[in-house]
Formats: sequence, C-alpha cells, structure tokens
Amino acid sequence: MNHNEARLLIGAEPHAPPSPELSEHLAGCADCSRFQREMVTLDANIRRALEGAPVGGAASPTASVTPITSARPAQKEKPTNVWSGWALAASVAVVSVLVIWALRPSDTLAHDLVAHVEYESDSWTSKQAAPTASVTDTLAKAGIALDMSSDKVMYARTCLFRGHRVPHLVVSTSRGPVTVLVLRDEKVAHRTNFHEDGMTGVITPAPHGSIAVLALGTANVDAVAEQVQQSVRWLPPH
Amino acid sequence: MGGTRNSGPETPVSSYDGSPVGAAAGDPIVTLFESMRPDLLRFAHWLARDRALAEDIVQEALLRAWRSRDALKDQAAARAWLLTIVRREHARLYERKRLELVALDDAMELEGMPSPPGPDSELDSLRGAILKLPLEYREPLIMQVLGGFSTAEIAQELSLSSTAVLTRLFRARNKLRTMYGLTPAPDEVDSEGAA
Repeated sequence: MNHNEARLLIGAEPHAPPSPELSEHLAGCADCSRFQREMVTLDANIRRALEGAPVGGAASPTASVTPITSARPAQKEKPTNVWSGWALAASVAVVSVLVIWALRPSDTLAHDLVAHVEYESDSWTSKQAAPTASVTDTLAKAGIALDMSSDKVMYARTCLFRGHRVPHLVVSTSRGPVTVLVLRDEKVAHRTNFHEDGMTGVITPAPHGSIAVLALGTANVDAVAEQVQQSVRWLPPH
Repeated sequence: MGGTRNSGPETPVSSYDGSPVGAAAGDPIVTLFESMRPDLLRFAHWLARDRALAEDIVQEALLRAWRSRDALKDQAAARAWLLTIVRREHARLYERKRLELVALDDAMELEGMPSPPGPDSELDSLRGAILKLPLEYREPLIMQVLGGFSTAEIAQELSLSSTAVLTRLFRARNKLRTMYGLTPAPDEVDSEGAA
C-alpha cells in the first residue's frame, strides 16, 4: 500500500478500524500516521457540526448593535447635544455589547444544546403528560430516576446528542414548558448561563456529568435546574 | 421554526401539533416514525440546506413511509429505512428542479461574517464549509457521519462503486481540511474508479 492509497482510506473512513495492510503502512509511515490523527480529530468535529443545525441562527453581535447606531440621525436634530448624544449612543452600545457578551453562548455545549432543542421544537407543543412508562423507560436508559410528579413531564425521549444517548424531557411549569437534558457524558466545571436564539438556558455540574435546562424567552431556568438537581437520583450502573 | 406545510388531512403522521390524526392515531408505527422526525429533519436539512424545504421533504418521506409501512419488516432498521426514504425524496426534488435548492447567499453568510475566535465560531465555520461542499461530496459524508451508513450501503443507495464512494468521502474531508489550515492530501485519484 502506498501513501495515496493509505490516505484515501483514512480520509474516507477515519474512524474505521484499519485493515492489516493499512496498519502495516501506518506502522512505518510517520506522515500518514499524523494524517490519520488529524483526520480523526477533524471527523469528530464534523460529527459535532452535523449534529447541530446547518446554519447558526443566533443573532450576531453586529445585528444586535445595529439599532443603536440607527439613533445617530437624531443627533443631527439637536446639534447642541452632539457630544451628549454620542456619549449616550456609545454608552448604550457598550452596555449592549457587555450584555451580549454576558449572555453569549459560553461554549460549544450551550450552542449544541440550543441547536438540538430547536430541532425538537415540537417537543414543546405536547398538551398531554407523557406516559409514565415512557418517562421511566427514558430515564432508566440513562441510569437515572426522577423524584418528580410524572404528570409534569410532557415529553420524554432518548436522543442522540454528541454521540451519546441522553434523556430529553420537557417539564411543564407555571411559566411554560422547560426542556431538561441529563448529560452524563458532558462534565462541566461550573454553572453556566447562556442566552441564544431566544432561549435561556443553564448548564449545571452534576454528580455524573451535567444537567442542562432550557426555556423559551427569559424564564427563570435556574429555579428549575435547582429543582431538577434535587429530584434526580443517579442509579447504580447495571 | 416553521410548521409542516404539506400535511394533508389524510396524512397520518402530520404531528407537529402533537398527535397523529386519522385512523393511525396511536398506531405504534406512527409513534415510531414520529420519534425519528428530529433525526430525519436534521438529515434532510443538511442535504437540502433549507429548513422549510427539509420539513417538506420529511413530511413527504413520512407519508411515503406510512404508505409503504408493510415493507418495513424489522422495526430496528426503521431509522436507516426512513433516512433512505428522506434521501430519495430529496434526490427526487433535486432532480426535478435541477438546481441547488437553497438560498445559497443565506447559507454562506457565515463565512463572510466576522466572528470572534473560539470553539463556537470554529464549529460554525465548519458547518459553513460543509454546506459549501458540492452535493456529490456532501451527500455521502452526511449519510456516513449522520446517517451511520456504511460505505457499501452508500454505494448501493447512490448507485456507485465502493471505490467511488471512498473517493468522494476522501475528497469531502480533504476539502474540509483546508479550512483548518491543514495541508490537503494529494488528490491523485484520477477518477472515481481507481486510485
């Protein structure tokens, strides 16, 4: 097997177990081995990219700031207040940027969560409680139980998220439906709040991985996250 | 987040508003199909590069699947079966229109948009790069990575040789390498038949 043949196979199927011929080539070729490592990394990123939405729908900081700059014509009507007008506009712009910065998706995990929930937006339309058996089964697959009235769970599904099956729940609250994803395989160091695409969310560390809570608008997801944290029981592995 | 556009009154799987309608309500097969709608929609969206179009494709695909449900012998294979129907539905649409079915400018805006450095922008850039891949490369890549199809299965579905599929997959990733500042591997595959 030559270099080109090896790279064709690696590039086509980076995660496939190498054939004996390819293994032999890799053992003696540092360049192709490096190419393989790079391709495996790239492929993992491709997978993560594809599991989200094709085009990010988040409003860009530029778009958010634009309305502020549109206030400039008003300054022309009051020439004596040019500097105060500019100062006001600048202040508003700075505050806006800071707010956007503070509410930015803090990491890729938050972004991926929003993308995932957007794809299952129909999960928020359920008007009936999910069958108890379905909820229990979904949770059991993730190795957890939830000490919560099952009639509050409107939607329960095991989803593929970042290559892992995770329970995706929608819980009915007084302020509307709230999505809960229990992410056993996503460890986070600290609580992270985020706001993207009209959704508010929080990711909190858990004894095993993390728990994400998302809602439309500016709902108080912290309180729900707190409640879920207290309600989740991590079952011993089978 | 648009709703379905093609759901006719007889459609047994038109359930963006929740439950199936008609005689199929409560049918386990409908429940099974519906449980896969998000995966199908994601798959169709990457193929079609347009959310509304993807919803139409999935709706049509689910309707076809329902009509052909007797052909599904093994429910464990339902996902692959449905993804195949979605792909064919997209191909049918694509062939009918003979053009790329998306507002490309919208899809490509990401590339021209200044974005802060970091993992998010990197992933978005990668998404933009994937969208820019020609369909002949994007389709097998999506089928493999998102659909979980093997090279042989992709070859069969696309009526290509396995070597041709390997070549397309290699070229797709090779193109994506460049956006990472990595040197693309020499592409000395002179055709899709031989390396």
